[in-house]
Order: sequence, then structure tokens, then C-alpha cells
Amino acid sequence: MKHSFLDQYSDRDSLIHRLDPRTKLIAVFLFILAVSLTSQVLWPVFSLYFVLIAVLVTLSTVPVFYIFKRSLVIIPFVLLITIFIPFFKEGEPIATFHIWTWQVSASYFGLQLFITILVKAWLSILSLIVLTSTTTISDLLHGMEQLRLPRVMVMIFSFMYRYIFVLTDEVMRMRQARDSRNVGGSRLRHVKTVGAMAGTLFIRSYERGERVYAAMLSRGYDGHTRTLRRRDFRLADLIFSICIVLVLAAACLFNYLH
Amino acid sequence: MHIPDGFLNVATAATTYAASTGGISYAVKEVNKNLKEKQVPLMGVLAAFIFAAQMLNFQVIGGTSGHLIGAALAAILLGPWAAVLIMTCVLIAQCLIFQDGGLLALGANIFNMAFIASFSAYFIYKLFTSLFGDNKKGRLIGGVVGAWASVLLASIACAIELAISGTSPWQVVLPAMGGIHALIGIGEAIITGAALSLVMVARADLLQPQKA
Repeated sequence: MKHSFLDQYSDRDSLIHRLDPRTKLIAVFLFILAVSLTSQVLWPVFSLYFVLIAVLVTLSTVPVFYIFKRSLVIIPFVLLITIFIPFFKEGEPIATFHIWTWQVSASYFGLQLFITILVKAWLSILSLIVLTSTTTISDLLHGMEQLRLPRVMVMIFSFMYRYIFVLTDEVMRMRQARDSRNVGGSRLRHVKTVGAMAGTLFIRSYERGERVYAAMLSRGYDGHTRTLRRRDFRLADLIFSICIVLVLAAACLFNYLH
Repeated sequence: MHIPDGFLNVATAATTYAASTGGISYAVKEVNKNLKEKQVPLMGVLAAFIFAAQMLNFQVIGGTSGHLIGAALAAILLGPWAAVLIMTCVLIAQCLIFQDGGLLALGANIFNMAFIASFSAYFIYKLFTSLFGDNKKGRLIGGVVGAWASVLLASIACAIELAISGTSPWQVVLPAMGGIHALIGIGEAIITGAALSLVMVARADLLQPQKA
């Protein structure tokens, strides 16, 4: 069955794609940290971050529209959590509404806070998307291992990545079977059906895990995985790191001076 | 419940990162001791299971749909420490692959959905199996209540982190998150219960190992 590829565009070739995954992971982490530390309504600094992202996207040759579309995933959280902020922060009111018997007013300070959070969240997610659309999952995994993620977790992670596709197919088949048989009925029955599906899926996964382990053991598995292709820390990584650190340091300095 | 970046202040993010990192390294030790390396493929496949099971969505109310978190099911079937590792891997994958939850907020997300959800579900399950006896009824009730509470407690932890960060005022974020997740939790509870009863019928031996 068809499902969208997880790390789309990560197999392209560009300056950003060729970097060591460690360089990219740390750069993204520092970038998000710098964004989070930036104080409110410091638009020059936020524009600088945005320009940085734009440069990276251009260098990476990943379609801009794709990145924009992926970044919309934060919207539900924004709607649930932050939309109320302007109405609850104290401050100079900019607009007042009468809703039934309540008098609700949006404050200028609250609105500023709202927009700042929105901008920060958006910048952070853009940088994450650039990371995943320029790095294959296996490279990313190797980078995390070199950055001292416990080996058990790296192993769990790589098995998980291998079996996501298989189990997703399994779920899609089960969903199709349910939808073609289970029309109408109460909500409770729907949820119960999903429960039975989850239970079936668990048993199938568990038995698959047992079979996989037996198969691997019979082929000489000793708890290590070995791969051939690796990316190394090279001159390009050094230059990239220096550039990112300089830009972020400038931004933080500007932030500190204001 | 996945917190994106930009919603937490750095102090909260750093604290939860420290707590989660410490907890994970302890969980790694604990799992290595009890499960041995040979169980790693199994845990990987089960992490993929949680990932896939989260795609089984159901209607909550109106247009919103909820889906399984899975921490309760994993904690009951495999024990809390293994559940913590599996959920952590799922959360890292969701962050890096789908940008569901932020990178700086990852510590907080792991703390809420891996630690709080797994352990609350596990202890409530244990409490009920000791109250009603370790039989089918006790396990089922424990699983259902544990699953509901795990969702609610994780969402409350999430709300507290958001409020401490100054992102959203207490009087809004607590009732909003708690209320919605008390509803989503009902779905989680019924699904966990149904899945447990099916496992107990089909593969009762799976529930034995972690009793010891």
C-alpha cells in the first residue's frame, strides 16, 4: 500500500545534505535555543533568524512550498493554547467585545506575547523541517549514536524505523476491513472495534518481533549492527558551524544589548 | 499534547530535559538488567506498534478526533521502564520525522508522555490488581482506570509546564487541557481495556513475565 515517504527529499544532493548529521543536529538545537532565548517583539532579531532559514532552504534545494505545508502541523496547538492569551494578559486594552454577559478585552501586551510565541514556534519548526528533509533517517540515527544516545535506544529506534512501514500497512488493511464491514452503530461500538484492532495489532507485532529475533539470531546477530556508508566531519562542516555560531552569537548579543 | 518549540521558556525546557535524561539513563540500566539485549528487536517492533496504533483514530466529540497514546498499554504489557524507552523512541521519531512536538520541548514531552503516563498507568494498574486480585476483572479495571488517568495526568503536567513558562494563564490552560483530555482519556481507556481483554484471551502468557 502507499504511504508518504517519511524523510522526503533527504536523498537529494546539496551543500546542506552533505554535512555531517551531528553538525546539523547541534546547529538546529542551538538555533531553537537562541530563538527561545530571544526577548519579545525584537523584530530585527527574528527577521535575522528568518533570513538564516531562508538561506538554508535555498541552499538545500528542497521545495519551499513543501516546507511551508509541513510547518502547518503546529496550528492545532496554537489554536488550543495560545489563542486566549491576548484576552487574559493585563495591559492597555486595544479592543473590547461583549459576548453575552461577559466583557472581554484584548490587551496590547497579550497580543504581542501571542505573536511572539507564534513566530518562535514557526521559526523552530522550520529549522526542524530543514533538518529532516536534508538528512536520511539512518544518517540521523548514526549522528545521535555518536552524540551518546544509549545504544539500546539506537537499536530500538532502528528496528522501529524498519517496521513502521510494515505495521502501517497492517493498520491500513485492518482499517479498510473495518470500514467495509462496520457501518453505523453507536460510538461505543466504534471505540470497542478500535480496541480489538489495537489488541490484534499488538499480538501480531509481538509475534513478528519474536520471529524477527529468531531469524536474526540464526544469521549471527550479536547485538551490533554494521553499516558501510558514513558521513564524516569535514572542512565544510567546520565552516558551516562557524557561520551558524557567528550569526546566532550576533543575534544573542543584539538581544542582550536591548 | 505534543508541545511545539517556542511555547516553553528555557528554564522549564532545561529542567524537564535534565529530569528526562536522568530517567532515561536509569531506564536503560533497568531494561538491560531485566530484559537483556536479545529483547531489543522485540521492543523495536513494539515501538513501531505504538507508532502505528496512534494512527487508529476515533471520534471524540464534534469534529475532533483522539488517538491512542499507548503508554498505558505498553506499561501494563511490558513494565514501566521498557514502556518509558519505547515511548521515548516514539516521541523522538515524532519530533524528528513529523515535527510533532519540538526539539527543545522534547524533554518536556518525554517527561509527560513517557514518564508520567507510563508510571501513573502502571501504578494504578498494580493498585487495582492488588485490590481486586490478580484476575481478569482486576486487570481489566486497573487497565481501564490506569489508561484514563495516564492521559489526564500527562495533559495536566503539560498544562503546568505551559503555565510556568508564562505561555498561557493558569485559569485557561488547566481547564482547557484537562477537560479535553478527560474526554480523550475515555477513548484511551476503552481501547486499552478492549486490547487487554483480547490479549488475555489470545496470548495470556504475554502478561506473565512482568509479574515476576
